[in-house]
Amino acid sequence: MNDSQWARYEVFEQERAGAPHRNAGSVHASDAEMALGNARDVFVRRPNCFSLWVVPEAAVFAKTAQEVARDDWYAAPAADAPRETYLVFSKKGQPARETFVEYVGEVQAATPAHALRVALETFPPQDVFVWWVAPERRVLKSEQADAASMFAPARAKKYRMHTFYPVEPIMRELKSAQGMLDNSEKTTDND
Amino acid sequence: MTETEQLQAFEARIARGEKIEPGDWMPDAYRQQLIRMISQHAHSEIIGMLPEGVWLQRAPTLRRKLVLLAKVQDEGGHGQYLYHAAETLGVTRAEMIDALLAGRAKYSSVFNYPTLTWADIGMIGWLVDGAAIQNQTMLAHCSYGPYARAMVRICAEETFHKKQGMEQIIRYTRGTPRQKQMAQDALNRWWWPSLMMFGPHDATSPNSAQLIRWGIKTKTNDELRQDFVNKMVSDFHAVGLTIPDPDLYYDASSGNWISGEINWDEFWRVVKGDGPCNAERLQARREAQENGAWVREALAAYAAARGEG
Ligand SMILES: [Fe+2]
Ligand SMILES: [Fe+2]
Ligand SMILES: [Fe+2]
Repeated sequence: MNDSQWARYEVFEQERAGAPHRNAGSVHASDAEMALGNARDVFVRRPNCFSLWVVPEAAVFAKTAQEVARDDWYAAPAADAPRETYLVFSKKGQPARETFVEYVGEVQAATPAHALRVALETFPPQDVFVWWVAPERRVLKSEQADAASMFAPARAKKYRMHTFYPVEPIMRELKSAQGMLDNSEKTTDND
Repeated sequence: MTETEQLQAFEARIARGEKIEPGDWMPDAYRQQLIRMISQHAHSEIIGMLPEGVWLQRAPTLRRKLVLLAKVQDEGGHGQYLYHAAETLGVTRAEMIDALLAGRAKYSSVFNYPTLTWADIGMIGWLVDGAAIQNQTMLAHCSYGPYARAMVRICAEETFHKKQGMEQIIRYTRGTPRQKQMAQDALNRWWWPSLMMFGPHDATSPNSAQLIRWGIKTKTNDELRQDFVNKMVSDFHAVGLTIPDPDLYYDASSGNWISGEINWDEFWRVVKGDGPCNAERLQARREAQENGAWVREALAAYAAARGEG
């Protein structure tokens, strides 16, 4: 029954121009183009997407801070090994605060482990809990020319947003008319 | 580090409120509990599309149809987010789906009840998605990073599901006597199955203590159910509906609405496969899998021809 699974692609979404691409989850697809289409269907049902990237999970070199500290993952590349561009992602912040794996920049490196080593020297490693690096040539990016068909339709679908349904004020009104409001409900406004 | 030292270090991280990420050391039981919970949750989202999906062609207006379509699509998306979160623990989506189709996997028993009228669609949004929000808001603080992050996404969307349901039921309660009766009937049918969504009592819930110690859950089944009952009783009273529980009473000393006993025989019967729609739900999923085979074959052939397969 493995016929429906294919390779996994990690999906990164950018909420607006200039914001970092952030890992949203993954999709299965038979090729990168289908992965981009699936990513759009699975992750862009709301009007907050400007651009999407997909990268095969097999091309992502991922290490948690715990694994980085073990130091068993690095072997120096040959001095003349060709360099290429790697994209670097990290999850940082306070340990107890929920944050996402986000794009931080790029480095030139010969191997994934080398890219991570360069990333550790290039980007401040404090408060980073997860590092991902992936060669840029394996990343498929949505094109701005396709934005109208990929992302614009979701913007018109206001009924997908909970703010479209002003039920909280109705409930407050009903409760106050019946003397049912307790103090917490009198002062909070959920909408 | 020895296994014991690793476990101590792990539990210290949990105690500090740190998120555990794929690749970090974790006890095997933590991994297994998460795979069990997340895959059951994923299956519930996918099976949960079915009772509402049958009403898509019978929605009373175009607006209602668009809203229901959006909600059912969301549930399919939630299933995908959750399969992804489980995959980060080393299980494959194929294994999880095989288990579901073979009838080995569990999913929320509430989806084994039929949707008899359009009012059920509003009531499911208010009650069933409301119960899901109660549970999922807690899980958004789960110690396992990928599960917590999937929950953050899901909770935002579930709020839409609940509110569109509330909107429909509020309208029915202000409508004709027949519409009001439809809303009441729907509440009568969905009240108890939604209370069952929180699972067995704490005393008979063997996993509870460990799930809480490892920060997977922060509240017990009974605590979550009590929070839900308190919120729902006051909301339904406000719109003039009656909770179908003759034993329900307000306990002034605790400030809680105390409900009568759930029919646990029914609960276990439905969980074990003998609910009103269990067979129908699995059959629908098996047919979907079979009917989609040619699409998967075509895509695989296309990828192979392009040398990407
Ligand atoms: Fe959902
Ligand atoms: Fe859910
Ligand atoms: Fe939902």
